[in-house]
Amino acid sequence: MNPAPPLLSVRKLRVSFRDEHGHGAEAVKGISFDIPAGKTVALVGESGSGKSVTAMAITRLLPEHGCHIDPGSEILFDGRNLLTASRRELRCLRGGDIAMVFQEPMSSLNPVFSVGEQIIETLMLHTGVGRKAAQQRALALLQEVGLPAPERKMRSYPHQLSGGQQQRVMIAMAIACEPKLLIADEPTTALDVTIQQQILQLLTTLQQKHGMAVLFISHDLELVGQFADEVVVMHHGSIHEHAPVQQIFEAPQDAYTKALLRCRPHLDRRPARLPVIRDFLGDSCHFEPPQRERGYQAEDRVILEVQDLCVDYHSRHGWFGRHSQRAVDGVSFRLMRGRTLGIVGESGSGKSTLGLALMRLQQASAGRVLFEGEDMLTLTPRQLRAYKRRIQIVFQNPYASLNPRCSVAQILTEPMLLHGIGCDAEERLQLAGDWLEHVGLPRKALAKYPHEFSGGQRQRIAIARCLTMHPEILICDESVSALDVSVQAQVLNLLQSLQDELGLSYLFISHDLAVVKHLSDQVLVMQQGRCVELADADTLYAAPQHPYTRQLLDAIPQGWPHCIRSRPA
Amino acid sequence: MLAYIVRRVWQMVPTLFGVMLLLFVLFNWVGGDPSYILAGKNLSAEALAGIRQQLGLDLPLPQQFLIFVKQVLTLDFGTSWSTQQPVSTLLHSRIGPSLLLTGSILLLGTVLAIGIAALVAYLRGSLTDRLVTLIATCAMSVSALVYIIAGQYWLAFKGGWFPIMGWSDSTLDNLLHYLPLPLLLGVIVGLAPDIRFYRSCFVEELGHDYVRTARAKGLSEPVIMLKHVLRNAMIPVVTSLMMSLPYLMMGAMLLETFFGIPGMGKEVVMAVERSDFPVIKAITIYIALATMLFNLLTDIIYKLIDPRVQLH
Amino acid sequence: MPHSASPPPAAPHPHNSLTRIGWRRLRRDRVGFAALCIVGAYLLLALAAWSGLLASHWQDEVAHPYAPPTLFAGTAPHHLELSAADIDAADRRATSAAAQDGSGATGLSADEDPLAADLAAAEQQSAQYRGAEQARADSLPLGADQRGRDVLQKLLQGSATSLQVGIAGALLALAIGTVLGALSGYFGGLLDDALMWGYSVFTSVPDMLLLLAFAAVSGRGIGTVVLVMAFTSWTGTFRLMRAEFIKHKGRDYVRAADAIGAGHGRRMFHHILPNVGHLLLVQFSMLTVALIKYEAILSFLGFGVGVTQVSWGAMLAEAPAELLQGYWWQMLAVTLCMSLLVTAFSLLADSLRDALDPKVK
Repeated sequence: MNPAPPLLSVRKLRVSFRDEHGHGAEAVKGISFDIPAGKTVALVGESGSGKSVTAMAITRLLPEHGCHIDPGSEILFDGRNLLTASRRELRCLRGGDIAMVFQEPMSSLNPVFSVGEQIIETLMLHTGVGRKAAQQRALALLQEVGLPAPERKMRSYPHQLSGGQQQRVMIAMAIACEPKLLIADEPTTALDVTIQQQILQLLTTLQQKHGMAVLFISHDLELVGQFADEVVVMHHGSIHEHAPVQQIFEAPQDAYTKALLRCRPHLDRRPARLPVIRDFLGDSCHFEPPQRERGYQAEDRVILEVQDLCVDYHSRHGWFGRHSQRAVDGVSFRLMRGRTLGIVGESGSGKSTLGLALMRLQQASAGRVLFEGEDMLTLTPRQLRAYKRRIQIVFQNPYASLNPRCSVAQILTEPMLLHGIGCDAEERLQLAGDWLEHVGLPRKALAKYPHEFSGGQRQRIAIARCLTMHPEILICDESVSALDVSVQAQVLNLLQSLQDELGLSYLFISHDLAVVKHLSDQVLVMQQGRCVELADADTLYAAPQHPYTRQLLDAIPQGWPHCIRSRPA
Repeated sequence: MLAYIVRRVWQMVPTLFGVMLLLFVLFNWVGGDPSYILAGKNLSAEALAGIRQQLGLDLPLPQQFLIFVKQVLTLDFGTSWSTQQPVSTLLHSRIGPSLLLTGSILLLGTVLAIGIAALVAYLRGSLTDRLVTLIATCAMSVSALVYIIAGQYWLAFKGGWFPIMGWSDSTLDNLLHYLPLPLLLGVIVGLAPDIRFYRSCFVEELGHDYVRTARAKGLSEPVIMLKHVLRNAMIPVVTSLMMSLPYLMMGAMLLETFFGIPGMGKEVVMAVERSDFPVIKAITIYIALATMLFNLLTDIIYKLIDPRVQLH
Repeated sequence: MPHSASPPPAAPHPHNSLTRIGWRRLRRDRVGFAALCIVGAYLLLALAAWSGLLASHWQDEVAHPYAPPTLFAGTAPHHLELSAADIDAADRRATSAAAQDGSGATGLSADEDPLAADLAAAEQQSAQYRGAEQARADSLPLGADQRGRDVLQKLLQGSATSLQVGIAGALLALAIGTVLGALSGYFGGLLDDALMWGYSVFTSVPDMLLLLAFAAVSGRGIGTVVLVMAFTSWTGTFRLMRAEFIKHKGRDYVRAADAIGAGHGRRMFHHILPNVGHLLLVQFSMLTVALIKYEAILSFLGFGVGVTQVSWGAMLAEAPAELLQGYWWQMLAVTLCMSLLVTAFSLLADSLRDALDPKVK
């Protein structure tokens, strides 16, 4: 038996980056793997694992300055070493035999050229056809990737398309010249879940139809489990496990792979505490913690009641013209003391606006927000001060929500200073240190600045900042969405233990249904500003009533063996 | 589009009103009593009173402002205080030389600067790039005065390749004879800052994701630079170019003064020297109007370059 | 906040604020640090000249008219001593004649004539210098000018004036632009409309024309020039700050400050301002450079500093006539001195931009 040589083989690839002062950091530490022709290989890892660097190294798109590829490395494509190929050879390969799809479709398309022009350009470059023929072919491609009204879309500019449509255009451009290898770098990460599923479906169909090999790069193991043939798990620049997809899911060998599979919240289970990577790395054998029951109970007391809340965004046209758009449209719900209400929706559903309006960070246009019977929306700024302390918010992006010019001590003591908590600076500093330890950071972190922390640590600081004011309600606006799965599990565990200990009530806003299910007692589903379904978490997930809720649930990637294509036996 | 233009023109009214108010405050209030200057050597109380009455300076301020507004609306700014010529005739004869000089400087300078900047941005990080950037930084630091003084001395006075100064009535004669040296010096003065600015525009565009896509498509670097990057970089370039258009009307003040070119810039300097307020006011109003029109034009050009721009 | 200054007891060593990192990056940037040193040296010299420690006698006629620089004492074109002195003397006679019958020239008495006081002062001053005849040098380190004044001393004094105008004008313009821009961007609404109206008024007139229009109505002198420059050049900072405040007021960290109960003033000046401060520093360097150049042109045209003061522009104004006679040293000295400072400031602006950019860690 003599197996066909792989289409692409990466041999001992080492990539290091050098900053302006010559300090080198190795991003990829001598990895080797193969991509067989016509197969889908998924490269999975958290941020900083070196997966994107590997993809860029294959197409030689890494920046020329400050980036060093070890001379011992080899990337063989059809027997040719890409690392020593000439610029001319590379140009022929790129877009011809090797095509790429990137994460951000909006910025990856040139904003000033029409969509058709950008596809035609590729076609004319590599296939040498005339403009007329290229135009015909481009139209056919847009049809193939399922863009509605392709004739009109040919003349559209990227900003006139939605994110999903833009990504379809990128895919059409990539498959234009029938490449042998398609490299997709997190192609669905910037998209909503339902769109994500459509794009994956499209990619799988095209892969089978054209017999391409696909290198799919993602942070989401569950996602790639649905369609990959082989999975390569990367961590800190080296490969931890490389195996067929079935083996990865059914009998993972490596502790890190096991951890990745378990620490993400899952629709089928709700452990009291999510396992974290550390649980798998030691010798101690990991065992499943007890499951937690969720749902509002009869004896719960209402802490926040929202009635028919509406929020309008006004945009001004000229001096007198006004244009308003309803972002939240008549939403009502109740939050019980010590419970969690999850709010789910895709981008543009108004879920974040809702959170801001509750805190009066965004002006509401109608409705009532009753905090223990007092309507927050009608309070004067002076009266509001006392309530502001009791309802706090943790934002999505931990890099943006902490003032980069303030030390952690300043960040944590400022709210206490403003609300008169603690009698002097010394005491406030003491309290700040206590809260920092409470959220799992050392006291000496007080003297540091936000940029010295990782994303998860910053989110802990943001939580500690809220806690210094002894809030009763915490609004978590996509608070764990920007974090890697392993860090996400830690922060979710922290939020859970704080709720158990301090009796906090959470309003948990997220686009991720699995995470919401893990943490919520009741779930509210939003679509285009309206509430389409509100029910106890278990009820909603077991028997969704509204078609949109069902659509959302169907779109959740569930990994092997819920595959979205027919596999050869 | 037409509705947009009409609306924009309508929106110029408050700005123009503001410019009038500013000028009025400057010249009728801060500027004090100009009759001293006008009376010159015959400074007597009666003469002063006569001048005041003639200029309407004895009227209350609101009324004086109304007179000024009327002047602006009819574009009739009276006569120059120093030469007694009608201001409109005066400016009419000054605009031609200015347009010729600054227009040619702008055209030649922009073409050269964009070309060099694109080349340097393409070679970014190389020795050429660093050398050009360094030379541009040093060249920018020398005052425009020095270029002109030195240029006039060495190229015209010592070298004798150009006339030292002057202007004639024949355009051809001007183009061949009197224009080249001021043009050369004007381009030299403007080149260094333009190259630096355009280079930074190009380099910034090169960092965008769509450039990576273009490379992934297999396009060659020159095509990426001249097709994808240039079109995007044109947006800030056009902005800076259009912002410099009002200077077309104002002329290159220093060049005109040094080379005795009878343009708007020289007229401004002389008017300020002689405290010839009607001329200064008229020139300012004309240039403010031109600036507003150029701004409108800029927005329309944006629409042509960048499909994302919406005119509303 | 008072407690932020004292590090908590547990901290073993001070940590890196963005400012400190920026400073360290600037120190490591050799070009930027050299530029900073040059600018610092100029500031020190200017301070010394301004306070009278250095070059306070720049108006003394210490050498023969157009005495050459020491290095070129032999090779420089032999100056036409007689004719130059003649011109000089004739010049002075004319001045003093004008001063003596200054009030007689007009039909007004001295207290009615607005120029009488100035003329009298000028007369007094020229009388003072006329008296001080002393031994004159044949050459000076940087040569002498038409009246035999030391170019080096003039240069020092001129640098002090130009720097003073540039820096004070830039600071004032920056203050106006920042406060108005912050209010406009942060609050928006009617206030923004009103301030934007003012902005569009000021930007619809080219800055050089605006400068001249201001200069036409105001007197001469350093203070006036500084004010005129500040009033005409605040618009760039205004636009920058307005855009930054609009951007930052929607950022999560400002929202978080709102959530913890920080008021408008605190959000604007405690939270947002430090985060845009690095832009202000860069803006300051660029504005100073621009104003120094403007000052040179204004003084050259005679609308800048007063006749009893000297600046780079005023010195360059003497250059064309000198050059025609072959006396190049004053122009060369001013050009080099000014270029060095402006280059240093420009390089400093570039380095500051790189070093203080919070995005690059």
